[in-house]
Amino acid sequence: MTTVQTDLPDQLAQQAQALVRNGWAPDLNALVAEALRRYLESHTDALAENFIREDVKWGLHGRD
Amino acid sequence: MDVTDDRALVITDAGPLIHLDELDCLDLLATFRRILVPEAVWREVECHRPQALLRADIKLERIGVDNPDPRVDTLARTFVLHTGEREALGLIEQFPDALFLTDDSAARLAAMALSVRVHGSIGMILRSLRLGQRSRKEVVQLLRDLPLRSTLFIKPSLLAEIISEIESPL
Repeated sequence: MTTVQTDLPDQLAQQAQALVRNGWAPDLNALVAEALRRYLESHTDALAENFIREDVKWGLHGRD
Repeated sequence: MDVTDDRALVITDAGPLIHLDELDCLDLLATFRRILVPEAVWREVECHRPQALLRADIKLERIGVDNPDPRVDTLARTFVLHTGEREALGLIEQFPDALFLTDDSAARLAAMALSVRVHGSIGMILRSLRLGQRSRKEVVQLLRDLPLRSTLFIKPSLLAEIISEIESPL
């Protein structure tokens, strides 16, 4: 495991802590890891590159 | 392109407004008949790049979004979209032929799930060459300036590949 220290906006931290307190996540570490995992799933390197390549194709050869 | 066509309408997320303005090429949006900026996107840009909203030569339309399609709400939650992105996709129901501009991968995935036409800032910059808004030399310079003048992140090797393609068209 890697330990990461980060600053969170107060409101974001409070929302996360409320989820933990209400039993929707085991603890803050698990919640942050899950949030990061979900973000990374929709922001992969390959995905970003594919989108840029689509843009290049559209930009240079599109019809609109 | 026929700029009076209904398809010549764009709904934009905050990213392209900010990134294009950072590169001083927000005017590239002028080919669209209408440029719609959802309320939440407007507020986001106002916070991070207010000058992008003040260009006298670009008419941005600030537009509120009421009761977005439940599918949009579901996708927004699934892809953890920001309010601005959710509102932008919410406008698609009202303007189904509009182009959605975003530089966010998750927003783009959600847009694709809704069969929305979607592109980003890089596409707009290259489109300017096709439409004669910028010369080849100017587009290459814009791409070279991108890491220095804008907050749009792109892998250096991919950017170099694109620049090479523009400099040496087949």
